[in-house]
Amino acid sequence: MTMETTGLLALAPLITMIATAILVVVVDMIRPGDDRLAGGVGVVGSLVALIMVMGIGTDTSPVLGGVYVRDPLTALLDAIFIVVAILTILVAPAYLRPRGLPLGEFTATLLFAISGAMVISGAQDLLILFLGLELLVLPGYMLAGYAKRDGYSTEGAIKYFLLGSFSSAIFLFGLAFTWGFTGTTRIAEVADALTGLQGIPAGLAMGLALLTVGVAFKIAAVPFHYWTPDAYQGSPTPVTGYLSVGPKVAAFALILRLFVEALGPLQGDIVNVVIILSTLTMTLGNLVAITQDNIKRMLAYSSIAHTGYMMVGLAAYGAAPAGSPAAEQGLQGLLFYSVAYAFMNIGAFAVVTALQGRPGVTSQISSFAGLGRRAPLAGAVMTLFLLSLTGIPPTAGFFAKALVILSAVEAGGWATVLAVIAVLNAAIAAFYYLRVVVYMYMREAPADAKPLSDSWPMRLGLVVAAIGTLVLGILPGILLPSTQAAAQVLLLVP
Amino acid sequence: MSGIPILTLILLVPLVGALIIAVLPRHRHDLIRYVALGVALLAFVLSLALLASFDPAATGVGGFTFVESVPWIPAFGIEYTVGIDGISLVLVVLTTLLTWISILASFKPINERVKEYMISFLILEVGMLGVFMALDLFLFYVFWEIVLVPMYLIIGIWGGPNRIYATLKFVLYTLIGSLLMLVAILATAFAYQSATGSWNGAFDYLTLRGFGFDTALQVAAFLAFFLAFAIKVPMWPFHTWLPDAHVEAPTAGSVILAGVLLKLGGYGFLRFALPLFPDASQTFAPLIIVLSLIAIIYGAIVSIVQPDLKKLVAYSSVSHMGFVTLGIFVFQQQAMDGAILQMVNHGLITGALFLCVGVIYERTHDRTIARMGGLAAKTPAYAAIFGFFMLASVGLPGLAGFVGEFLVFVGTFAVSPLAAAIAALVMVFGAVYMLWMFQRVAFGPMSDFLKNLGHHLSDLTAIEVLTLAPLAALTLIFGLFPGLLLDLIQGPVDAIIAGLAAGDAVAFLPWR
Repeated sequence: MTMETTGLLALAPLITMIATAILVVVVDMIRPGDDRLAGGVGVVGSLVALIMVMGIGTDTSPVLGGVYVRDPLTALLDAIFIVVAILTILVAPAYLRPRGLPLGEFTATLLFAISGAMVISGAQDLLILFLGLELLVLPGYMLAGYAKRDGYSTEGAIKYFLLGSFSSAIFLFGLAFTWGFTGTTRIAEVADALTGLQGIPAGLAMGLALLTVGVAFKIAAVPFHYWTPDAYQGSPTPVTGYLSVGPKVAAFALILRLFVEALGPLQGDIVNVVIILSTLTMTLGNLVAITQDNIKRMLAYSSIAHTGYMMVGLAAYGAAPAGSPAAEQGLQGLLFYSVAYAFMNIGAFAVVTALQGRPGVTSQISSFAGLGRRAPLAGAVMTLFLLSLTGIPPTAGFFAKALVILSAVEAGGWATVLAVIAVLNAAIAAFYYLRVVVYMYMREAPADAKPLSDSWPMRLGLVVAAIGTLVLGILPGILLPSTQAAAQVLLLVP
Repeated sequence: MSGIPILTLILLVPLVGALIIAVLPRHRHDLIRYVALGVALLAFVLSLALLASFDPAATGVGGFTFVESVPWIPAFGIEYTVGIDGISLVLVVLTTLLTWISILASFKPINERVKEYMISFLILEVGMLGVFMALDLFLFYVFWEIVLVPMYLIIGIWGGPNRIYATLKFVLYTLIGSLLMLVAILATAFAYQSATGSWNGAFDYLTLRGFGFDTALQVAAFLAFFLAFAIKVPMWPFHTWLPDAHVEAPTAGSVILAGVLLKLGGYGFLRFALPLFPDASQTFAPLIIVLSLIAIIYGAIVSIVQPDLKKLVAYSSVSHMGFVTLGIFVFQQQAMDGAILQMVNHGLITGALFLCVGVIYERTHDRTIARMGGLAAKTPAYAAIFGFFMLASVGLPGLAGFVGEFLVFVGTFAVSPLAAAIAALVMVFGAVYMLWMFQRVAFGPMSDFLKNLGHHLSDLTAIEVLTLAPLAALTLIFGLFPGLLLDLIQGPVDAIIAGLAAGDAVAFLPWR
């Protein structure tokens, strides 16, 4: 096989995704307003890309002159992103259609964003990494403001855009420092240049600080989280679901490629910052979430808390000796958590979406009153998602938490303290997640409660998310080989 | 070992039953009730078959028989391993017994969302049985948490006026304890892995039991386990969720809560905390003995002044469960026997007392002691059986309640006469609160409140007799023939005490 065909094969899922996005635009031009067609093309194209990801196989040697690689990490991350895209397209119409928002543009914009995430997942060059990041976030700003006649949506989008642009600029500045110090933008070469470094020179330290702040904005770590609640609350609900998972997991993919793979030799210098950020992020996220009466804001703060839990895996990686099993477990925990989080959080937002399928349903938690009786299936799956977010077995969220906590315990030292902080946080979180269950099952529905929107794509989306949440909780073993292979890729770097 | 995986079968019966009920039409209340009862009875019959085929002399695998093991998450050596010894067995049978009794007792009171209620109860049964059977620490934790959710729903949906506060308090207390226990389980697994270089067996109870963790880890892990179990028991000062939960829970919820859920804590100490962390257990035993004594006395004193029947029985549980932890942590054979007997007997007697309170609540929608009076004249059968269980709870010799507490006294006296003397005080208080309560409820002239109820105040119905009779029979049988239980648990108790390697059981106590 020639170099070119290998490269094309490695890029095939990405190309398919971009082609699907373009096809949706074209289809939308030919038959404007045909939501079913646009959505159908989007889902089918994404499925084809997913099958490619599963079928192509992986190879740890980079292609295209060393800027992109399809290794097990790329495959796993791509699969997450594509699943996020499919679920979002399935549940979105229930919200968009009653409000007169077109699905075609939505699908195309979403798929372009997902393509950006897929660029990040396989990037082997700092510039490609940044390119992917921008391709990811720009459509995200558009999606946040998708309900353009809604003041909150516009406000959220502007906040998201401004802070997002600033953080991108800060991040790019950090990349420039790194490039200035190492003289290369290739990830492998950056890692080589940093290996064996004694102490950090001022310039590099500056770069590290800027990069850390940049990604902290993107994953919404406290104290860089201020854009999150407004952007999440204002966005159309299916967009919020996507924003809380897609860009967050993509930002963690960025962290894996940049901080773990390229800057891996400096792990010991970053770990304290990660531990502190993680503690702040989960604690503040959970405490503020308790006080929220708006379900979207509550889930926004809870997603901040989940960022904190994922960072526990990162902290374990940083605190453990390089290349030790604990380091691998930390990364594995982070990856497993990302998969679990994708299913359960999109699932939870999907139920909110279904609830708001009739315009006029507010995002107050009280709109869940009596849902368990009004819509037994929606109530049951929402309970499942909330239990998973809390971390109660047998759900994916439980095993994900167990895995990051195990890695933190293995890493020892302050990481172990972080593990204890994480479980205490999980207990705090139970309080506000269960509050929704209280409303669903223990309060009566108001007399004017509107029925749920009940289309088959919505049902399919809910069922897929529920099955993912449950199966990964009962049989987590089926995902572990993938996460393990992905984690090992990152640790192979010298 | 027989060819049939009977333990898995017992676990599957209520689970499959719950799934069957999930697809039944929701308005067919009676159908749902009878299916649930049938499923619970089937599980009970299977557990009796297990009892019949159990051989106390058989050593099996590390003292456990009927062991089944299937790899679950091989990457971490996590296995689905279940097995029983005598202690597990009696608690399994207690669970299956109380489950069908609770379901039967819910036939009349529960008319709302019967489907969800029965599903919750059967899932609850799966979780409780799983805890008593699990021989893999990860599996144990999963079952331990599964118990939480249905109980949360049972209190929160079908409970009293203040149910939401009570159920959240119940969940948050339990969750804080159990999540720290999760960290401890993971830490011990990792300690094993780093010592042996392999995850195989890192969560396996039988492997870890004799492993001998280093002292620092033992202390930290023991404290985490202790918190989880102490909250569940509940030990003073972690008991404050219990009265709220009991008062708000529906009758059957209280029966299961007192009858089985509290036993999970005592069982956890016996099965996990002591054998896994023997050194730390000895270090903390004096503290736990003191806490147990406080619980015994405090529970009894607080019971005296309770105006509400359910609250009184709830606080008396704190006192009775104090005997369980006391009996466990004096590390003495009779005392530990007594603790296990006390767990079973408290399950029977307190379960029955809650049923009795449920009977009067069903008719009056009130549980205030001050508004009752003269029930003996109007409802003699009810007053008689209530009195029977009341006396059993006080510890009348010849009934089951006496045996457990007596053995704990004897065992504790051998170790610390002082502790035994303090615990003996409770005999006085116990008589005070129970007899005084019964006097106010059953004797004297009929209260105006009850008079106004007129014909609504009927004597026991057939269903109520059906739920109370087996408990009464067992209370009598175990009171007269405690050897039936002792034969089953003797082997495991000896093994636990031998595992502590205390040599001299009293050496660790700073005072006698």
